[in-house]
Amino acid sequence: MTTFANALASAAVVVTVGAVVVLWRHRLRSIVLALAVQGVALAVTAALLAGHEHDRVLFAVALLVLAVKAVVIPGLLVRVVAATPGARESDPLVNVPASLVVAGLLTLAAFIAARPIVALVGGPTGRLVPLGLATVLIGFFVMVARRRALSQVVGLLLVDNGIALVAFLVTSGVPVIVELGSSLDVLFGVVVLRVLLARLTAAGFSDLDQLRSLHD
Amino acid sequence: MSAVALLAGLGVLAALAAFAPRARRVQLVATILVAVEVVGAIVAIHVLVIDHPLAGHTTSLLPITGLHIDLTPLGALFTLTTAVVAFAATIHWVGYRRHAMSSVGASCAFALFVTSLLLVPAAGDIVTFLVLWEIMALTSLALVAHDHALRDEARQAAWWYGAMTQGGAALITLGLVVLGAHAKDPSFASIAASAHHLPGATRAAVFLALFIGFAAKAGLVPAHVWLPRAHAEAPAPASALLSGAMVNLGIYGIVLTRTLLGVGPTWWWLVAGFFGVISALYGSLYAATSTDLKRLLAYSTSDNMGLVVIGLAASGFFFAKHPAASSLALIASLVLVTAHALYKSTLFLGAGSVQYATHERNLDQLGGLARTMPVTSVAVVIGALSVAALPPLNGFSAEWLVVQSLVHGLAGADPVTTVATAVFVAALALTGGLTIVAFVKAVGIGFFGRARSEQAAHAREVPVSMRIGPGITATACVVFGVAPGLTLSAITRASATVAPNRSGMTATLAGFHLGALRGAVDPLALALGAVAATLVVAALRQSRGPAGAAKLRSFEPWGSGRVLTSARMQYTATSFAEPLQRVFDDVLAPQHDLDVSHAVESRYYIERVAYVSANDDVVERRLFRPVLALARWWGVRARGIANGSVHRYLAYGFVVLVLALVVVS
Amino acid sequence: MNLATFAVGAVQLALVVVGGPLLLGLMRRVRSRLEGRDGPPITQPWRDIAKLAHKQRTRPTESSWIFSAAPLVLVATAATVATLAPLIALTPPLAASTDFIAVIFVLLVGSVALALAALDTGTAFGGMGASRALTIGALVEPALLVAVLALSLPLHSTNLVAIVADGSRHASVLVGPSHLLALASFIVVILAESGRLPVDNPSTHLELTMIYEALILEYSGPDLALVTLGESMRLAIWLGLFVNLVAPAGVAANAGAAALVLGLVAVAAKVALVGTIVAVYEVTTAKLRLFRLPELLAGGFILALLGVVTGAVMR
Repeated sequence: MTTFANALASAAVVVTVGAVVVLWRHRLRSIVLALAVQGVALAVTAALLAGHEHDRVLFAVALLVLAVKAVVIPGLLVRVVAATPGARESDPLVNVPASLVVAGLLTLAAFIAARPIVALVGGPTGRLVPLGLATVLIGFFVMVARRRALSQVVGLLLVDNGIALVAFLVTSGVPVIVELGSSLDVLFGVVVLRVLLARLTAAGFSDLDQLRSLHD
Repeated sequence: MSAVALLAGLGVLAALAAFAPRARRVQLVATILVAVEVVGAIVAIHVLVIDHPLAGHTTSLLPITGLHIDLTPLGALFTLTTAVVAFAATIHWVGYRRHAMSSVGASCAFALFVTSLLLVPAAGDIVTFLVLWEIMALTSLALVAHDHALRDEARQAAWWYGAMTQGGAALITLGLVVLGAHAKDPSFASIAASAHHLPGATRAAVFLALFIGFAAKAGLVPAHVWLPRAHAEAPAPASALLSGAMVNLGIYGIVLTRTLLGVGPTWWWLVAGFFGVISALYGSLYAATSTDLKRLLAYSTSDNMGLVVIGLAASGFFFAKHPAASSLALIASLVLVTAHALYKSTLFLGAGSVQYATHERNLDQLGGLARTMPVTSVAVVIGALSVAALPPLNGFSAEWLVVQSLVHGLAGADPVTTVATAVFVAALALTGGLTIVAFVKAVGIGFFGRARSEQAAHAREVPVSMRIGPGITATACVVFGVAPGLTLSAITRASATVAPNRSGMTATLAGFHLGALRGAVDPLALALGAVAATLVVAALRQSRGPAGAAKLRSFEPWGSGRVLTSARMQYTATSFAEPLQRVFDDVLAPQHDLDVSHAVESRYYIERVAYVSANDDVVERRLFRPVLALARWWGVRARGIANGSVHRYLAYGFVVLVLALVVVS
Repeated sequence: MNLATFAVGAVQLALVVVGGPLLLGLMRRVRSRLEGRDGPPITQPWRDIAKLAHKQRTRPTESSWIFSAAPLVLVATAATVATLAPLIALTPPLAASTDFIAVIFVLLVGSVALALAALDTGTAFGGMGASRALTIGALVEPALLVAVLALSLPLHSTNLVAIVADGSRHASVLVGPSHLLALASFIVVILAESGRLPVDNPSTHLELTMIYEALILEYSGPDLALVTLGESMRLAIWLGLFVNLVAPAGVAANAGAAALVLGLVAVAAKVALVGTIVAVYEVTTAKLRLFRLPELLAGGFILALLGVVTGAVMR
């Protein structure tokens, strides 16, 4: 077991654990913090791959990921949270222990579902794909099981981070232009959502289920 | 062969002895039954020692194919286990007869039940097996329905049990007949030789039919619904046999299925493992939240059979990649089956003694029995700690082996197997924790503390035979727990009937050593160490403090400044399980009903509070009740079809005749 | 099996017996200091034990044999584990059969005995303590066993000595993500098993929130001394196992006197350090509501499960 493989796996694990923590914690601030840590871990993954393959462009991508996913996006979300201090995901649709058990099952499902990709890519990078896939699935589940508008945004970002992790691991680095494009897309999306969130909060909505009243 | 004939003959004699006059009836039947059990045990030990099947064939007893006996080492293990359990139950029965089960019918049914239990594993072909299986089912049904005139619950239990067992038997018959049709004769040996020629789909269908049929007998969820009813309503010696011997034969059936069909594809065992996990979790959860002592034990049986099936499933899907772990898992399941038989019969017999002494099964009405019924309560404590898998008792070494097989099976496992194994370990762990809650509750509420009712306060120790019965099995729990190696060679031989033993496992008197698979455990050393330490600490405690009579003073326990006058201030079984019930609220979906009636004068005064909490079986409520309601609805509808008019019935026959003619032409 | 291994066992037992109450004293002292009090000296638990040992034994009027037996069982099981577990050396007695699961279950015997004794007192508090302690125990179990499964992955063995030895020989095992996740879940397990915050407040006697203190409420005199000793030994064992799984550096590889002394000092220092960290953490955190505990324990379980998946993935 080389140091590289260990470090890479640890970084990938932190990405998945970050998703689990989002399900685990109630305080929105902790949830955003978990997202930021996940962004850092993603950047570290990219940087490790860059160092391993001596790929400068990939290193640039790592820096970009660090800037966007670990600093800018969490920063934007923190400001939303700051608007309502002490905000909590107090009564999620699926309670926390059940959510965590579901997250465990999703991880196991990802482990089984990723078999073809693992077989195709192989090596110290490819075998970590299940962790990325698990992050994607948990992200989706966050969107399903949490009430807060902010949690929905975080769920979306988890999905994105999971996809990014899979992309890094499978291709050993996405072309910089693609990563740039997708990062900017996500950033743009978050900006829009953040504005929307601010408006919703101003209008007194924070629980997305309340939007049902708009149905009639 | 002649020994088996002797066994069967003695069994019939015991059944006939039931017609003896009332005064000596039970003693007579029990004496002959002890002979039956001794013969059974000797035959089984003989087969296990010579490690060769005992076969025989006679056409004089059964029509068509005759009676075919083939007692393999695997069958012998089950016969031997049954013999030990039945021996304890028979002795217990001698005392218990003053409480119940002394009629001609009950004695006769009990004798035939014991005999058929001993003989089912010796069946060598389909017909013999099914005939013995039916005798076992019918006699046990008679015992379950024993109190039908006294209690409506007993009638209900008999209905549920009858429906489940006959449904299961139908599936088993179907599966075996399909197999028999493709073999050159209906003996199990030739079925096993020819089954691999069957097309895959047929084999899969047969596997599912047999697995479901036998799982219903073993009490796996969702076919477990008969278990808490039947075990609770049957008289104690019968329920000890139901749980300590009959459900084992469901496991025997599943193992037999594997010998007949071969290991088969992985998905078979994933299905089996799934039901094992569900049963283990569901059974332990309900055991932890039950307040009826015998229902608790019954749910725990479902849970333990789930664990055994988990072991069998692991053995099935480790088979291709990791034969050593596969053998280990098979051996582990068999160790667990035998361990379960011993501790669960101890507990059921103990529960019967409690019922004898207090006429009470509800834990919320018991308490303080450790002082009034010392021998019974020690036996029950040993049984309970064994179920909880605490060292150095036999449940521990059994569960340790199951966990070891899973740990080792992970080596070289593919993702599907890995996932299944991880789920198994998690399920095993949660089950273990819940089982501890269940049995600390059973013992702590039922036997320790203060008596919660008049009956419990005035309980007296039961007659000596009722102390010996559970005493035997409890002693076995301790002996086979401290020295698990004693049974290992027999169990290894039994497992070799199914598949050659590749585990490389050895046993010393003290413990298990897994050979090439790294791992070992020495319950004897642990026990000796702990006992030595206990003695040293006890001596230290004695040597300190004031001397003589001033050493130990009893005092009134702390009641927040008040004197605890009422035993009702203790925790009850219900309140004990309340935190767990709240944690698993979504699964258990308990029904609460709180009714507060206020005084007429003012709403600030409360006149009466009625609180009803029902924690009935959620599978029964959500799965079987709707099905039964549908059947009832259909029955009511169908009344219109049969309105009593002869003309209409003739018209039905006429229509069918015409249709048949049209179809045939 | 030879005399040298039994000498190791004896030294370990002595360390745990003497060190357990000292560890408790240290943690209380750290807490007091951080809360701005001077606090009792580190040796206070020992003084309490010595004082209690000379008092008269008492028992509730309607209790039975289990009430007297439970403190003995608690101490005896802890002593057995202290002798057999690889705490200061990799050569404890019967090293080949020092199984992780067996160790867990032997400790469990002590908990069960105490819970039964609590029910035997026939009071509401005893039942409350037993019910809560066992509920937590049941929910901890999956995290614990799955963590053991994750730790067993490199060797496919649950032999505790082998696992610790493997870690002391190959540092790469220690930094492997699977190992780290398993240990993270182990932290949750230890906090729950030894009744520390945020699971239980060891210094509370508030009637409705106490768990462990409710369990032992009726004990006094020599029995209370034994219970205190037993609980502190268990805490020391859990922390000792934890530090040896995290960083086995210093654990004696043989039964030589020099190596043993070094191992003794190293383990005592590491346990003291971890104990201090736990105490600091306890000052900064609040007790969780009983019905929020499943969240914490489910979290520990998921970490362990991720450990297993990661370990399986990386093979």
